[in-house]
Amino acid sequence: MHQKSFILKLTAFVLVFFLLDFFISLFLLNGLNKYYGLGEKTDIALVGHSHLMLGIDKESIENETGVKVAKYTREGVNVIDRKIMIKQLLTSNTDIKTLIYGVDAWTFSSEGLSSNSYKLFYPFLEDSAIDDYIYNNSTTSEYLTKKIIRTTRYDELLFSSSIRGYLHKWTNLKFGTIDLEKLKSNIANNQYRKIENSKYNIKIFKETLTLLKKKNIKVILLYVPTIDLLSNVLDLKYDMTINLIDKIALEYDNVEFLNLQEPWSHNHKIFYDPIHLNPKGQVTITKELNKYLKSHGYY
Amino acid sequence: MLFNSWEFIILFTITSILYFNASYKLGVLLLLISSYAFYMYWRWDFAVIMLVVTLINYFSGIRIAKSKQHKVRQLWLFFALITSLLPLLYFKYANFFVANLNEILTVAGSIDTFSYFNLILPVGISFFTFQALSYTLDVYFGKTKVEKNIVRFGTFVAFFPQLVAGPIERSSNLLAQFKKKNVFNKSYFLEGSKLFIWGLFKKVVIADRLAIYVDGIYENPEIHSGPTLIVATLFFAFQIYCDFSGYSDMAIGTARILGFKLMQNFNLPYFASSISDFWKRWHISLSSWFGDYVYRPLGGSRVNYLKWLRNILIVFLVSGFWHGANWTFIIWGLLHAFFYFFESWGNLILEKLHLAKIKDTLVYRIFKIVSVFIAVCYAWIYFRSNSLSDAFLISNKLFSNWDAPFFFGSSTVSFVLSSFLILVLIIFQISQYYKFSSLYFSKPKSGWQLQFIWYLFLIFGISLFGLSSNSFIYFQF
Repeated sequence: MHQKSFILKLTAFVLVFFLLDFFISLFLLNGLNKYYGLGEKTDIALVGHSHLMLGIDKESIENETGVKVAKYTREGVNVIDRKIMIKQLLTSNTDIKTLIYGVDAWTFSSEGLSSNSYKLFYPFLEDSAIDDYIYNNSTTSEYLTKKIIRTTRYDELLFSSSIRGYLHKWTNLKFGTIDLEKLKSNIANNQYRKIENSKYNIKIFKETLTLLKKKNIKVILLYVPTIDLLSNVLDLKYDMTINLIDKIALEYDNVEFLNLQEPWSHNHKIFYDPIHLNPKGQVTITKELNKYLKSHGYY
Repeated sequence: MLFNSWEFIILFTITSILYFNASYKLGVLLLLISSYAFYMYWRWDFAVIMLVVTLINYFSGIRIAKSKQHKVRQLWLFFALITSLLPLLYFKYANFFVANLNEILTVAGSIDTFSYFNLILPVGISFFTFQALSYTLDVYFGKTKVEKNIVRFGTFVAFFPQLVAGPIERSSNLLAQFKKKNVFNKSYFLEGSKLFIWGLFKKVVIADRLAIYVDGIYENPEIHSGPTLIVATLFFAFQIYCDFSGYSDMAIGTARILGFKLMQNFNLPYFASSISDFWKRWHISLSSWFGDYVYRPLGGSRVNYLKWLRNILIVFLVSGFWHGANWTFIIWGLLHAFFYFFESWGNLILEKLHLAKIKDTLVYRIFKIVSVFIAVCYAWIYFRSNSLSDAFLISNKLFSNWDAPFFFGSSTVSFVLSSFLILVLIIFQISQYYKFSSLYFSKPKSGWQLQFIWYLFLIFGISLFGLSSNSFIYFQF
């Protein structure tokens, strides 16, 4: 093999790689934006983690209210991540009038949610706020890899979400109902997520609400039901957290707390696992949310 | 240092550039320095063990070669074996012996037990110890010439591409290659890079993804149904293959770029049509090590039938024990020995019944490939389980609780992708089997265009779906 031809072929391979890398990542990012409703004219935005993701059907809200909804929910995001997500939303979706923020008994507990959830924001690295956030949390080699090779910002879940964005598929695919015996056994063995409210998380949560108040956006703190067996065992700390959310909501005139625990937390057939709803549960709870939005004059 | 890290890429790039531009002597010294840097990046103090093992075998080799007295040669060999194996025995097996001793004491009614050692296993200790010992044994048996250059010998023991997880090289192959200066070769660069990419894909895309599902199931086998346990075991079979062969490919590829040819460590093991065939295809460098230094010195197959059975049993027992200080590994080794015996008895029966001809039929061959794969998968249960009780529980539960819901893991998307990747692997291995794709360094039948697309697919697979786990399964051995 001649030296020149070898270098040419190698250069061609590298060039093709970076070109494809650019276009594949662009394609995936576009699909993700569609999936999350980012960069669209939306009146309502949903922000939360998988609990809200599986609990609410955005298409049903759109059909009922006649307005566009962005559902920006990511697995394992804590209150800090959500603040970033909301900032991102406020920049990309300037028409938001109502923001539905998913809350639960663990909203102020960092334990159990991803400590490396900054990784969820890799696809949005071009956004300067996200870039700063990732830069401050990741290692240099990790950061540089994501900056140089764009496709490394994705994984199978983001890939799947992007394709779902193109296909306009937001359906909950967690079919089946919770294995109650397994849950009872886990509870008996002390294997369940505890509530450990942190002052820092409460502070960040309040900062987020203040930010939304400044933007004149109505906020609904939505508690999508979690199974009663879990709230029973969490007992006092559960009640304390609910009271805390209630108290914070009262501090802001633009914030309301919609707690859908009662009576649905007792209906075990709507749960896929202790905190996630199955498609049947999603239909039930979205119906309740739609009723609330209408009856309270949102739309 | 991991192959799939920027630190390695930087070290390797600097080493390659300097190596190809340095004089012969400096080049070998540079490889030695890089190898120790590679090892010390993880724990500098454990490099001392490697240095001691190197020095023991270096001087023992010289003494064995110099001496003409059989007794003295034997003594030096014995010295090298004992002193080289001591660190391995201490770090890897001390707590295993304490645990078993405590069990015996408890059964005997004693209240006193021995406390455990606080030990961390030096990465790759089994690999560099066996590589160094193979040299001393070869010098003793007159299979190789003594190496008087300490830098060259040190590089042979510590050569970074294969230092922590093999292939376990022989002095006749690798040490000889350090005696000449390598120059940059474009073909080697391409061959090495392609093998490295394929190995990396197997490791970070397939093995690490399968590990998530497998670990979840094997951590709590009691709560899962038979079908879930079967799928987890099948996934583990592919996980360990992709993990270990992936590392070997990266090691061989890296060495190839530098101009060295390491031995092939895997040769489509799941296409094996017998257990003996499986061991000629799986971790070839280790099985041939045991063949050369354990099985044949015991008499191999040139002994009476009972002694042959003993030899096979010993080899698999030692192999199991080499893999880890746990009864699960020992049972795994014994299972393979029994499979070996059953196969041998099956062949004898076929011959007695004058049915040996069916062995040549396609149906019988497919039956053998499938049955060997099932047997190997069954043995993997013991290899992967955290304890013997877990392994027995899984074995018992395999065909029970079939009406319970199947567990897809934390993400159905990941499960589907994992299954798809196994399919890709199988298809590619079939194409390798039929020589359409390159295996080791063979020339593929496929054109460059298809190869171009394939390697782009692999690179984007790594980029999009690559996970970053902290280690390779075989590092622990």
